[in-house]
Order: sequence, then C-alpha cells, then structure tokens
Amino acid sequence: MVTELPKTDVVIVGSGWTGLAAAYELANAGQRCVVLERGGWRHSTTSFGAPEEHDELKYARQKEHMIDTPIKTLSFRNDGSQTALPMRRLGSFLPGKGLGGAGIHWNGQLWRPLPSDLNMASHYSERYGQGILDGLSVQDWGVDYDELEPHLNFFEKICGTAGIAGNVEGEAAEGGNPFEGRRSEPYPNPPMKSSPPQDIFRRTAEQMGYNPFHMPSANVTRAYENPYGAQLHPCVYCGFCERFGCGYLAKADPIICIYDVLKDHENFELRTGAHVLRVEKSADGQTATGVTYVDEDGRELFQPADTVCLNAYALWNVHLMLVSGLGTPYDPQSGEGTVGRNYSYQTMAAASVFFEKDVWSNPFMGAGAMGMTIDDFNGDNFDHADLGFVGGGYISANQTNGRPINYQPTPPDTPSWGREWKQAVRENYLHHIGIVVHGSSVSVPQNYLDLDPTYVDDYGQPLLRMTFDFPENDRRMSSYVLSKAEEIARNMDHVRAVSTSNQAAEGESYSVVPYQTTHNVGGAVIGTDPSTSVVNRFGQMWDHHNVFVFGACLFPQNLGYNPTGPLMGLAYWTLDHMKSDYLENPRPLMDA
Amino acid sequence: MTQFSRRAILKQMGAVGLASAVPQTLAAQNPYAELDGVPWFFLSDTEARFLSAFCDVLIPEDEFPSATQAGVIDFIDLQLATGYGQGAGLYMKGPFRRGTLSQGYQAEMVPAALIRNFIAAAIEQGGDLAAADAEQREGVVSALSETEDSFGGAQGRVVFEELWALTKEGYFGDPLYGGNRDYAGWEMVGFPGAHAYYLEFVDKNVPYRAPPKGIGHIPGTNRSASLGASAMMKKEG
Ligand SMILES: Cc1cc2nc3c(=O)[nH]c(=O)nc-3n(C[C@H](O)[C@H](O)[C@H](O)COP(=O)(O)OP(=O)(O)OC[C@H]3O[C@@H](n4cnc5c(N)ncnc54)[C@H](O)[C@@H]3O)c2cc1C
Repeated sequence: MVTELPKTDVVIVGSGWTGLAAAYELANAGQRCVVLERGGWRHSTTSFGAPEEHDELKYARQKEHMIDTPIKTLSFRNDGSQTALPMRRLGSFLPGKGLGGAGIHWNGQLWRPLPSDLNMASHYSERYGQGILDGLSVQDWGVDYDELEPHLNFFEKICGTAGIAGNVEGEAAEGGNPFEGRRSEPYPNPPMKSSPPQDIFRRTAEQMGYNPFHMPSANVTRAYENPYGAQLHPCVYCGFCERFGCGYLAKADPIICIYDVLKDHENFELRTGAHVLRVEKSADGQTATGVTYVDEDGRELFQPADTVCLNAYALWNVHLMLVSGLGTPYDPQSGEGTVGRNYSYQTMAAASVFFEKDVWSNPFMGAGAMGMTIDDFNGDNFDHADLGFVGGGYISANQTNGRPINYQPTPPDTPSWGREWKQAVRENYLHHIGIVVHGSSVSVPQNYLDLDPTYVDDYGQPLLRMTFDFPENDRRMSSYVLSKAEEIARNMDHVRAVSTSNQAAEGESYSVVPYQTTHNVGGAVIGTDPSTSVVNRFGQMWDHHNVFVFGACLFPQNLGYNPTGPLMGLAYWTLDHMKSDYLENPRPLMDA
Repeated sequence: MTQFSRRAILKQMGAVGLASAVPQTLAAQNPYAELDGVPWFFLSDTEARFLSAFCDVLIPEDEFPSATQAGVIDFIDLQLATGYGQGAGLYMKGPFRRGTLSQGYQAEMVPAALIRNFIAAAIEQGGDLAAADAEQREGVVSALSETEDSFGGAQGRVVFEELWALTKEGYFGDPLYGGNRDYAGWEMVGFPGAHAYYLEFVDKNVPYRAPPKGIGHIPGTNRSASLGASAMMKKEG
C-alpha cells in the first residue's frame, strides 16, 4: 500500500550542494519545498568535531560518510563485451549520503570552466577543423560562459572562495590564472598559504615560462559571511579534509553555507531516511506527478508535487531516470536515445617528487584545496594542432591529505613491502610532494550508463550499469600533460628522485579499485538538440517539462577541472530561469 | 608481473613444512610468542601465530617495531570480529563470478571468512609459517602475493592485498583500534596524530616535533587507550 501525502509545490531529491541550493532559492521564491534525503541528519558543528573526526581508519578507509554499497552501488565493466559485475566495495569514486551529500567530505577545489570548455565542439572544429573530433561524442553545452558567469561568481561567494583573480573585467592581474575567463569580481578571500615544496614548484614553473597560481579554494582563509548570511571560519590546515567533515567550519559545506540559514524557513521541509524509488508520471507521460519513496520504517509513500528536482548526484539522477522511464535510454548499437549517453570521468596522473632532507613538506599539514597550479596545459590553452588529442588538464603541486595509512611515498624501485619498503617510507614521508595532473575526459559512443540485467539493490531495483574505459584520446592527453609535469618535477631544486603514475597509461584498463576522483559526469546531458541531450539549456527535461535536473550528469564531457564550480554555476542558472520564468508559467522553455 | 606457478608455491610451502621440525625454542624467540594466551575476539591461537609471521615479513623489526610488536595482530583480530570483517560496506548479492582485476573484490565470502579459509589452506598445504626461518617466510609471502591459485576459495593475491591493507592500517591507524601501539607507526614517520592545528607551521621549512596524540590519548603518557584484545589481557592480568 502506497500512502499519498499532501501535495507540495516542489519535491527535491537529495540534500547535497545542488539540492539545498535549489531548496533555498525556491523556498525564498515562495515555493513550498520538500527535500527527500536517503541518508541521515547530521551537522558540521556537532558531527565532525576533532579529534574524533580525525580518524583515518573510520572515515578515509572504511568510508563512514559515503554511500553504503550493500544498498546502493552499481555494476561495472570496461567494455560492452564483458559481463558487468557489481562494484562490491567503494574505490574509484566515493559518493555521499546524508544531509549535505558529498559536499561534506569533498576537498573544496573550486574552479570555473574555461570559456572554450563550454562550447568545446564548435571551438575545436573552428580552430582545428572537424576531423579533430572524429570518433568522439564531444558537444557544446548550449549555454555559454558569459551567461554562466554571474552564477559561477555567486557560488564562489557562497563558499567564501580563496584565491587570486587572473582576469577581473578583462584586466590581467599578477599572481592569478591568466587563462581564466572574464570575472565580474575578484575572489572574496585571499589565497591559501603555500608550503616549502609548493614554493619550489612555483619558482621552477615560472623559470620554465609557465604561469603558476594558488588553486582556488573553498577552504576559507579568514572569518567570512556569505551572501546568505552564513559564517565560515579560517582554515587551520589540519590535513583532514577530503573524506572528512570539517568541524572547524572552515571548509565550505552545504550544511553551514545553506542549510543553517534555510532550516527555519516556513517553505522548507527536510525528510531524512527517505529513499526515493522513482519519479511518477502523468497518464499521458508528458509530466511528472511527484515521487514515490520508502521512509525509515519501510513504508512506501507518494509525495505529489508540481515540480520535481533531481539532485541525487550525477550517477543516481541517471539511475532514477532509467528506473522511472523518464526520457529515452541510450542504445549504443543504434546511437539512439539519450539517458545514459556521454558518461565520462576524469583522467588522473601524477608525478611524485622526493626531496633532500633539508626540504620539509610535513604532508600531514595541508588542506583539501591547498595547491600551486599551472593551467598552461589545460583545455585549449595550448596548441593542439599536431598532438592527436583534444582536452588537457591542470598540473598542481597539492598538499592535501598526507595521512599515513593512505600516504606512504617511496622512491622508484623500492620493493612494495618488507625491510627496504619500511626504511623508504620512514625516510621520505616528511620530504615528498605529489604533482597531480587533473585531466579532462571526452565522451565516446562506447562509454555509457544503463540498467544491469542481473543485479538488484535492496529495494529490488536493477543496479545502474557503468560501461567505461579511458578513450585513446585521453590516454594520449594524459601522457602528454604528465610529461610536462615530470619535466617541472625534474627541474625543481633539492630533488632526489621523481616517479610517475598514470591511471590511463597505455594498456591499463580503467579500474574501480583505486581512488581516482568522484567526478562522474554525463549520462543526462544539457544541450540544445533533443536527440543528443536529456535536458534543454535550462536544465529542464525535454520530455517532461516539470522535471529539472542538477549536477554533473549534465556535462556533455568532462573538463580538466573539478566539477562542483561548473555544476553549481549551472544550478543557479537553472534556478534563475525557474524563478524568473517557468514557475509562473510552467511549460517547455525551449521548443524541441 | 611474474606468475608464480602452483608448483613453485608448493615448493616454498614444502620448505616451510620441513622447517616446522625445528626445535620450539627457536620459534619462541619470535615476537609472536608473546601472543600466547591473548583472549582474541576472532582469531584462534594458530591463526594469530600465522598472521604474526606473515605480517612481520611485510613490516619486519628494525630500529622500529615489527607489525606484531606494534599491535597489528590485535588490530586485525578486532577488524575481523567487527564491521570490516563481517562485510560492512560490501555488496554481497549474487551471482558471484571471478571478475577482471578492474572489477575489484568479487569473493563470495566476507573478509573474515576469506582470511580464515586462506590461513587454513596455507597451513594445510605448507605447514606452520610461524616455525619457518626468515628467508622461507619471505619466499612464501612473496609467492602468495602474486599467485592466481585459490587458497581457501579466493586467489592468493586477492587475500594478500586484504592482509597487506590491514597490516598498514594496523601499523599507521589510530591506536584506539589496537595497532600502532605506543604510537610506533606514527613515531616512525613523524605523524603527530589526531590533534591537528598547523596554521602557524604549514608554510615553514622546519621539522615539526610535537609527540603524537591519538583520539584516545592518555594525558601525561605516550600511550593511547586501546580496544585490542591484548589490552584486555593487561587489564585482567
Ligand atoms: C572525496 C571527494 C572529494 C571531492 N573533491 C572535490 C573538489 O575538491 N572540488 C570539486 O569541485 N568537487 C569535489 N568533489 C565532488 C563534489 O563533492 C560533488 O561534485 C558535489 O558534492 C555534488 O553535489 P550534488 O548535489 O550533485 O550531489 P551530492 O552531494 O552527492 O548529493 C546527493 C544527495 O542525494 C542523496 N540521494 C541519492 N539518491 C537518493 C534517492 N534515491 N533518494 C533520496 N536521496 C538520494 C544522497 O544521499 C546525497 O546526499 C569531491 C567528491 C568527493 C567524494
């Protein structure tokens, strides 16, 4: 028996960054909002305090803040000829559960897209000719940089972002990123500190003619009040950032930055322990009527709503669409259909730098977004004419998460265990830094998401099935940008040894085992053509005009940056159009 | 990667079998002799001795304690008895198939059973690892780390990876969980622990010398509270 609840104006699935931003904006626009969150309630001031939160075993290894794979996971294979098997344990990516979603245990590396990232297909074909995109499903976002700029800027202020602007209204600024698009305002807070190895990286990069700058950071550098009136505190560089909640209230998270200033609003209601099973459709299939969910007592409830917002994280938004019959599933054989199409990821590589004894990195001191970065090999900031690939990545000396279970740097040719290994760990732990290559990921026809034919979750629903391997384009890109990172590393002073690793190395299959990034993107992409996108350029589903979609599932391919800046820019862009246009006159905002 | 044949492993195991004939006094000098009588939560004494010999190959004694000396067996015992060992965080619905490397853990057992069966199979095929000499132990562990052969239901290399991860977690994790005894692992690398506040230090090129402190630090000592079985024994004794 499904119990039908009183109708609400808007039902929002998920309480992460996108879900709470939607609730804030819509509640304040007079819409009654119900937020359904499958995980539990928690709060940064009471749930993440030190020293208890600083438990590497519990949070970083056993992943207390992340999805519970016994209930929610997906199946995986590298290519369509294999049998997908369930991802039985978390590894490559770590989606969140509970109030605040993954915004609780993220790093806070907060980027904007490059203008050319947003019209990637037209940009590359104009500059290099159509052929450069052969075999790829790369396409334009349908919304351009100038349209997103106010919204990217607003989210940077919500997070109290720390950094040096490189381009305020066209004025180049010393110390900033010279490649970034035009900004309407500088960052609200000054950049993070840098460690001795990062200073060496900066000097070397400058000498080589590159343009180093402080990575933009949502680890806040001074006491700050955001535009919603929420308070953030200065970061203490405790080194427990990624995979942990921040009890210092110094890493911008959705609880402090949004929930606290929304929770008492009369138009806002949060229900935790509410697992949404599917979106229900009207008899004619044209619109959604609400969502059905299971509450903590196992009861099935139907929550009717005029408008449905999908904010469940990139992967689970796509899963909800597939199990609800929203849109048309992608068929890799025919190339028809769009839901699940253009899944892509992030292509990660690194150079590992081992210093002489007089350089102290003290890697346990750090912050999630403490990085010294160059953007010279990201996007189309460099000439791709004869390179045989599109895209790129940023190169960054990061001092983020040097806790000893997960961080045991050993120089090349050290055995992987035993006496010599032990000796090497002890000698290098305090004198090492990683230089990350954070690379883009193109979409290709053979990488996609659909439903698994065999495996089910605890609710009896088929698991999402991921078919993915690194495209050749990205393997070439990664090895090229990594060679640049390695060159910088080898030119640095006081360096004893350098090693490299590349997740997308030639001959290596993508694996769900080692952590890479939680930057799963695509599967429900944004665009202007309903045959190649699930939502129109306003984030509204082509097939069901009262369903709005948020998150990285909208990205037609992945850019070289971390996704949250771009996806929150899109979120505020969508919310702006909902408030200023859609809600008073619900209809498709674009003609199909 | 080198593929070790079943024969090569059995040869190593055979060597151990021979070695188990060495007099008891020799074996008693090893750190695992101190494990006798610990009221384990999960392990049998035989399993504890096997793990001790195994983990001390991975992290042997030098100026700093071996895995066993640092409490890693306590740590593993506690982990196998609780969430991790019992399958928390594991999707355990079938059907089960042997996957590709990139598909990760596909064993039909939770880690506690996986490791128990592995130890039983290893002892059955090769004798008492704890009684072997150092070189033989290293040979066995090395062979097991690479073999695709099944030991108690899963490939040797799969179980090796579980045990190696546990060993590092025990050596470097918070001492609350029984390992990292007297902050052995943290002292070794120079990690100050859970009480972390580095605003004034992060940009300085200097060593940081505060002694480590864990979540359950006992003020005025260099020790932490521990949930491990040995700590229970000390309390009772
Ligand atoms: C370890 C880590 C580090 C990261 N670092 C960075 C970084 O430095 N920079 C960056 O830009 N990004 C980073 N990210 C990514 C960032 O966290 C995400 O992009 C962002 O949090 C996505 O927000 P969201 O609202 O789309 O989804 P989420 O934050 O995942 O929120 C979705 C919520 O929906 C809930 N939900 C899911 N399914 C259902 C259902 N069926 N019913 C009810 N509720 C449901 C979930 O429980 C969850 O709380 C990181 C992520 C991780 C995990």
